[in-house]
Amino acid sequence: MPSVGKTIPHDSATGHVTGAAPYLDDMPLRNDELLVGFVGSPVASGKLKNIDCSAATAIPGIVAIYTSHDVPHNKFGALFHDEPVLAENELLYVGQPVAIIAAETPEALATARKLVKIDYEETKPILSIDESLTAKRFIGPLRKIQRGDATSAIKSATHQLSGEFRIGGQEQFYLESQAAIAFPGEEGQLIVHSSTQNTTEIQVVVAEVLELGQHQVVCICKRMGGAFGGKESQAAIPALMAAIVASKTGRAARVIYTKDEDMCVTGGRHPYLVRWQVGFDDAGLIQGLRYEFYSDGGAAADLSTAVMERTMLHAENAYYISDIEIQGQVCFTNYPPNTAFRGFGGPQAVAAMENVVERIAGHLGEDAYDIRTRNVYGVDDRNVTPYGQLFTRNHLPEIFESLAESSDYKRRREEIAAFNAVDPMQLRGIAMTPVKFGISFTSKFLNQANALVNVYTDGTVQVSTGGTEMGQGLNTKIRQLTADELGVPYEDVLVMPTSTEKSNNTSPTAASAGTDLNGAAAVDACRKIKTRLAEFAASLLASVEDGLVPSPDHIVFENGIVFDQRKPAAKLEFGNLADRARRERVDLGARGFYKTPGVDYNRETGRGNPFLYYTQGAAVSEVLIDRFTGEMSVPRVDLLMDIGKSINPGVDMGQIAGGFIQGMGWATMECLIYDEAGKLLSHSPTTYKIPAITDTPLEFNCAMFPNEDNIHNIRRSKAVGEPPLLLGVSAWAAVRHALSHLTDDSSELDLTLPATGEEILRCITSLTQNGQADS
Amino acid sequence: MPSGNVLSYIVPMRDHIQLQINSDILKIRGQDAFLTLSDFLRRRRGLVGTKIVCSEGDCGSCSVLCGVVGDSGMQYQPIDSCIRFMFQLDGVHIVTVEGLKQNGELSCVQQAMVDCHGSQCGFCTPGFVVAMTALQQNRPANQPASESELREGLTGNLCRCTGYSSILEAGAVAAEQSDSASLVPAFELSPDARRVPIEVTATCGDAKHRVYSPTTVAEAVDFLSRHSEAEVKIVAGATDLGVQFNKGHIAPSDWLDLNRVAELEKCEIEDGCMVFGARATWTDVLLLAESTVPELYQVMKVFGSPQIRHVGTIGGNIINASPIADSLPFLFVCDAELTITSASGERTVNINEFYSGYKQMDLTKGELLTSIRVPLPPANRNLRLYKVSRRHDMDISTFTGAVWMELDGEQIANVGIAYGAVGPTVLRLKQTEEFLRGKSFTIETMTAAGDVAVKEITPITDVRGRSDYRFQLARNVLKKYYYQIEQEESQSVA
Repeated sequence: MPSVGKTIPHDSATGHVTGAAPYLDDMPLRNDELLVGFVGSPVASGKLKNIDCSAATAIPGIVAIYTSHDVPHNKFGALFHDEPVLAENELLYVGQPVAIIAAETPEALATARKLVKIDYEETKPILSIDESLTAKRFIGPLRKIQRGDATSAIKSATHQLSGEFRIGGQEQFYLESQAAIAFPGEEGQLIVHSSTQNTTEIQVVVAEVLELGQHQVVCICKRMGGAFGGKESQAAIPALMAAIVASKTGRAARVIYTKDEDMCVTGGRHPYLVRWQVGFDDAGLIQGLRYEFYSDGGAAADLSTAVMERTMLHAENAYYISDIEIQGQVCFTNYPPNTAFRGFGGPQAVAAMENVVERIAGHLGEDAYDIRTRNVYGVDDRNVTPYGQLFTRNHLPEIFESLAESSDYKRRREEIAAFNAVDPMQLRGIAMTPVKFGISFTSKFLNQANALVNVYTDGTVQVSTGGTEMGQGLNTKIRQLTADELGVPYEDVLVMPTSTEKSNNTSPTAASAGTDLNGAAAVDACRKIKTRLAEFAASLLASVEDGLVPSPDHIVFENGIVFDQRKPAAKLEFGNLADRARRERVDLGARGFYKTPGVDYNRETGRGNPFLYYTQGAAVSEVLIDRFTGEMSVPRVDLLMDIGKSINPGVDMGQIAGGFIQGMGWATMECLIYDEAGKLLSHSPTTYKIPAITDTPLEFNCAMFPNEDNIHNIRRSKAVGEPPLLLGVSAWAAVRHALSHLTDDSSELDLTLPATGEEILRCITSLTQNGQADS
Repeated sequence: MPSGNVLSYIVPMRDHIQLQINSDILKIRGQDAFLTLSDFLRRRRGLVGTKIVCSEGDCGSCSVLCGVVGDSGMQYQPIDSCIRFMFQLDGVHIVTVEGLKQNGELSCVQQAMVDCHGSQCGFCTPGFVVAMTALQQNRPANQPASESELREGLTGNLCRCTGYSSILEAGAVAAEQSDSASLVPAFELSPDARRVPIEVTATCGDAKHRVYSPTTVAEAVDFLSRHSEAEVKIVAGATDLGVQFNKGHIAPSDWLDLNRVAELEKCEIEDGCMVFGARATWTDVLLLAESTVPELYQVMKVFGSPQIRHVGTIGGNIINASPIADSLPFLFVCDAELTITSASGERTVNINEFYSGYKQMDLTKGELLTSIRVPLPPANRNLRLYKVSRRHDMDISTFTGAVWMELDGEQIANVGIAYGAVGPTVLRLKQTEEFLRGKSFTIETMTAAGDVAVKEITPITDVRGRSDYRFQLARNVLKKYYYQIEQEESQSVA
């Protein structure tokens, strides 16, 4: 029975529920293993003058303390090599690693950390995008995407609006904090176990920093306890710390960040400042739109320019805008470098666009839904993106219509208006927002993957890819694809730990493309083996004596059985065939490869086809607000996603629901709070609030839009990891709708994101102080 | 030899605690007694299924079941093992995620989590499985937990992957099955072992650690009087001290653990008052409040999480002296009376007189808060309690408030108002109360009262909210109170 298309539990589910699935810190300590921690910069900005480790070194149980002088090549970085492993001359953000301590016990480590003395001269930090703009401290060039003449189009439009929109950051809050264990090997070799989305990056960075050949470093990742982008590039520093200690001491070394450390020193989703200008006609049809996006990149480039690129490529969200100008600039600040986070710049673009739509609706006094349907991309025309890619297979108009109907949007909106007009205590709001998420890395070279498939003589199979399992169900799907391709039971296939020893030069498991790329590579490997086996089986299953010319084309692999479709009664068990094939010296292992066809984007010109296809969807959220405290809840959400033909509906539904709630958290709840010196105050779940179980809407209807037209992708599926997150913006838009009942012209209403209780009450207060609404 | 203290010659003492972890019965002495339970499980027992994320009781990944002998045999509740010290666990049966399989098969909760895709990355999963098992255990047979019970029962567990809907589905599926995990305690402490105090000591390098666990208040205050020279940390639930310990803010060498003092567990109605022993847990308080003071029940229901409420105590909430303690505005407006006991006797103090500044209170060394007496608010008081926080559940307050009014027709006959998180201590708003007394109960009056209220408070800007937000809340809560009472009256008329 084929397994693709079936709801099969996560391939580690039994391990998860029994506690038997190990994560890095669950590995038993080796006898010689050292615990490694670090001492961070006490200030956001300064000149590092001296590091005194003498008192710390004297603590019994302290084996070594290393500073930048001990690091052979103290520079690394995902895109630019601009980040020191350990602070050298400059201190760049609070908590920036300055010294690494290797200790025999956690107690010694804790004591020693307090005794490392950092001598520095504090300098004035840059602690906001505005300060960075004033100081003109930027990372990377200003980028542009432009079509038509936005400035004139806005000018000649019937209506104009403009403003600034601020978007907050977000912490990934993967439950398993950053972790790495390094084991020294022979002749300078290292084996690094890392909780990373990118084994190749860890291998390369460790090799570069320790001045080893890449062939001397193996990076392995079995699973992560969540990642969400936070372990795409930023697993590097902890892995480097472990590797440096292992390499220098010749002992095993373990780095496990505490949650507080992790939140203080790693980056998250970029805060944005968006300046926008729009012109539109009486119907709300957008004539021209200008954007200036400024992101808070933090103190090093990390992946920020790529994140900004994705923002710019999603700036129009789901709408056709003939004349548009999009500018993007990453700003330097003295915070930890911001990095990948599920959505990768897309969510900020969607929020910015939906803010514009809401303002247009407010100005015209219309239902924002109608503005959306008028501006949405066309199916046969109005279907070219600002960067020149033809948007084919557009299902957005159907999704809008279908969801509006299933969610009873129009009727509920009327009911809500009536409720708000009379209820003195509460406000309600409702909004639909769409998503059109481009699938593929916008850097062409990353769109490749390889896989290793080994068939054993009992017919069981191991498959390894460069894809990493962070909970998203990648391994489950690869197991399904491999099993089906070889026609063997799902149980007979195992996905092995990700290792650079088996899969080299891999891309990060990111951009939602893990299954698309690695699944296709695994299938390619299976096909190679199948071709060889079919050739061999043909000679066993047909003979000229029986009137059949042996023909591999007629060999079928199904349910663990191999047969010639012309004579199905003669069957071979797959295991039996494999065993016999080996005896006849048929190669039962293969390496598969896949590269996404047809994608290319030129960031200099802002033109190209960066995406293979678009995952599409929309959500309707309803919110309930306490007029006196600003406290808000989301009682109902209806969500419809086009994710093609699902490989595993259970896994994919988990991605949809989980992604949405994470986006809702970003849009309505989660706040990174810093003090005036740039120190993070909200660095643990006590002070940083992600959605809890009671925040999940009481009525939460998630559905998949039936669609089998994605012919370019593996099994006609679509990527699902990131797109649902962007629908969290619907909850923010619903808050805006609720607040619009307190004013005649809500185009002026300035609701920032996230719409926290505090922000909502600020808006209520400013809208009602002029004698409106209550009393 | 005991160190020159007379009592220890007379009363036999134990130098260890005894507990069961899954199927193993263990005696804990020395340094291990001062470890947190999660460290002991992971570092000493290799039970690494229990995960540590926050080390502060906010995520529930370290949840384990803690079985305590109750009226009807062992009662199992989920607790956060990261903020429970080993020395607090005498006589209990700890069941970790590894101990939940039934005859080698997945329990129905585990199976439901597998079938419903309740795990993604899996790191929070052991905690959810444990918390869900507890919900299952504590339900009467044939009465599956409702969705709201599931939601409320799982507020102590954070998941970042699933958005919780698959977990709720798993909970519903598991609730339909009758065969919940059978958790079999293999030992019971003898009455003698239960009666004697425990003193565990340990030497770690130069540091000496001691914990004393008495079984009576008399033993407790005697210990305090005999060790007035030492900095003795008194611990009950450890839901705050455990956090401070984990984050390196405190490193006490001397502990007085109240977990075995049964007389401090009182929780009942007596002469028109709620009477609590200082060690009454929030779970106990909620049970009592549900039928007697529904307002208190509603606001304390979102205090912490089940894991926190099972061990956190009302006495701890008071003695922790935080201006954002959720119970305090209620206790203030009810004029709760605290009983303080020392070796030289007992005294009582009105809670309104108890605090003198930030974390400052009328309590000297050698004194122990032993009980709290709260006059039940009469029905005509229209008591309303407020807790505003960033997140509805499992969050520390940005603002708390308690308001009551006795109305004589349209007139405010008497009033009590207390706010928290707007100054160094919880504040009784006496000028606002004075302003309101005798006024007619209108929205104009309540709006004007807000102008008085904001002059009585000095809120700060911190991680939970800005001062202007708190000022606005201080005004708005009075207006909200008006509409709440109005709405209720119009409903009762209708």
